Amino acid sequence: MEILTGNELLSGATVYLDRHGNWVEDINEARVFLTEETEARDAAVAATRATMRINSLETETVTLKDGKVIADRLRERIRADGPTAPVFDRQHLGEDGHVSI
Amino acid sequence: MYRYDEFDAAFVRERTGQFADQVRRRVSGELSEDQFRPLRLMNGLYLQLHAYMLRIAVPYGTLSSRQLRTLGHIARKYDRGYGHFTTRQNIQFNWPRLTDIPEILSDLASVEMHAIQTSGNCIRNITTDQFAGAAADEIIDPRPVAEILRQWSSLHPEFTYLPRKFKIAMTGAPNDRAAVKFHDIGLMAATNPEGEIGWAVHVGGGMGRTPMIAKLLNGFVPHEHLLAYLESVLRVYNRYGRRDNKYKARIKILVHEEGIETIREQVEAEFAAIKGGVLHLPQEELDRISAYFAPPDFERLNATSIDVAREKILDPVYGRWLDNNIHSHRVPGYASVTISLKPIGGAPGDATAEQMEAVAGLAEKYSFDELRVTHEQNLVLPHVKIAHLREIYDALVEAGLAEGNSGLITDIIACPGLDFCALANARSIPIAQAISQRFGAPERQKEIGELKIKISGCINACGHHHVGHIGILGVEKKGTELYQITVGGDATEDAAIGSILGHGFVADEVPNAVERLVDTYLEKRESAQEPFIAAFRRLGEAPFKEALYGNA
Repeated sequence: MEILTGNELLSGATVYLDRHGNWVEDINEARVFLTEETEARDAAVAATRATMRINSLETETVTLKDGKVIADRLRERIRADGPTAPVFDRQHLGEDGHVSI
Repeated sequence: MYRYDEFDAAFVRERTGQFADQVRRRVSGELSEDQFRPLRLMNGLYLQLHAYMLRIAVPYGTLSSRQLRTLGHIARKYDRGYGHFTTRQNIQFNWPRLTDIPEILSDLASVEMHAIQTSGNCIRNITTDQFAGAAADEIIDPRPVAEILRQWSSLHPEFTYLPRKFKIAMTGAPNDRAAVKFHDIGLMAATNPEGEIGWAVHVGGGMGRTPMIAKLLNGFVPHEHLLAYLESVLRVYNRYGRRDNKYKARIKILVHEEGIETIREQVEAEFAAIKGGVLHLPQEELDRISAYFAPPDFERLNATSIDVAREKILDPVYGRWLDNNIHSHRVPGYASVTISLKPIGGAPGDATAEQMEAVAGLAEKYSFDELRVTHEQNLVLPHVKIAHLREIYDALVEAGLAEGNSGLITDIIACPGLDFCALANARSIPIAQAISQRFGAPERQKEIGELKIKISGCINACGHHHVGHIGILGVEKKGTELYQITVGGDATEDAAIGSILGHGFVADEVPNAVERLVDTYLEKRESAQEPFIAAFRRLGEAPFKEALYGNA
């Protein structure tokens, strides 16, 4: 299972593509692409690139646990939650940060 | 301190305007990220895990009060109220928004600062001894030459796209506090048989995935020929440095593969061709730049001393600060003060906006308006009257900056690691915090004495782990953070690269592992006067390896 993630252009905030085609902050709202959905995933990647508003666009493998989306890599879990030391709230999108495909 | 002339000011102003327009065009969609990325990196703007990161140059680690106040202002207005001082004497802000960058750069330009050449394959910020111009052991103040090198290397048209980044460090003292032998070029003040002062040029040092100690290329280059000589080194590197493999592109690999004799022949041939030309440095120009670094108006004071033993009885915490954070000054009655950015359990190198403002105020009041950033991620008030130490200490206590641990086991260097950095494989800061807490008791630190721990979150070694007396390298293995421990590294004139003694440890085990190394040292040292690194050199790896892994 995979999700799409990147950093929004203006704020640099970590964002995820959701089921409605919006780029959002919460990993739990991310659209999870199954193995057989590579075509849809690739189309979403292409549409996202066309917006020119999401940088460092990546696919990340995830696991679903108790209704939560858990990134497999520690790096991605830190990106989702913010730094662990010193603890800071993650970066948030600004009012001008809405991006959709 | 150096002050911008009209050329400097116009150049930085124009560059700030140019980048503001590039940001505008990126936001409007006129520029793609592929087009914009090299432009933002040339202006020190990275995209990290959570946000943009802006790295600001602090030339040779020297700041005025006004400049530090502006950094505090930036921290408060555009970031999250703090900044992170780095191992290259720069400062980084971890949370700026892209659209704020032009204003930040404009604020910086107003105090003669910028973020140019803090990224990219160019000559980076030239670093030096944090006690330059103040240290009692100094042969020459390296800052005038550092400033001349800054001017020479800024937007040098030939060296803007080198095979890889290029770092120069210099020291005017025989006791190397700038880790010069771990830089692409390391300059050490030297004297020739006639007693003239010049520079010994070391080349090919570095850390990263292939740590190397720089080799001596030329034992004495006079001031007047230094620019031409360094230009020759850069030309040889630019011509022959490997561009086919970024992991083999640093000059250390070229020196290693071709041999120092071959490099020397090439450099000498180039030098013979350009020596005495446009890069000849006239004494008048050196004098003109040196005038900016003229000693401040020191008072003629009798040699002042403090009865530290008495102070320790009256106030043990102040006594400990005096013991560890004061450095000898070349002028009687004065001292240099290290302001530790390593509170017990804190994040190494971080300072809040309020702390920056407090330090700026102290520099203004007590240190001729001048302060320094150290490559060990602390700050320094270079020129303070010994008679003012207590007042300064009290102000530092109020600012939360009075930790008396300079040079001790809790004075840890650590890179931002996986909590912030897009390149990292493992976290560094939590490891530093855990070790700091484990050894935080003053009596324990005093018992251990000088011991440098340096932590990197990946093999790029921004946390200088290769040269830690105890070095810690975070790696990722099958999804788990593991920490490889090295012992015996040394960044000073006795340069050494630490040895890996065995397998890595999970994060929770690291403080115990460090404690076993420390206990072995305490048990086997000849006396309390034998520091950890000296004991390691005498004893060899065996007892430390056994401490970590047993007899197996």
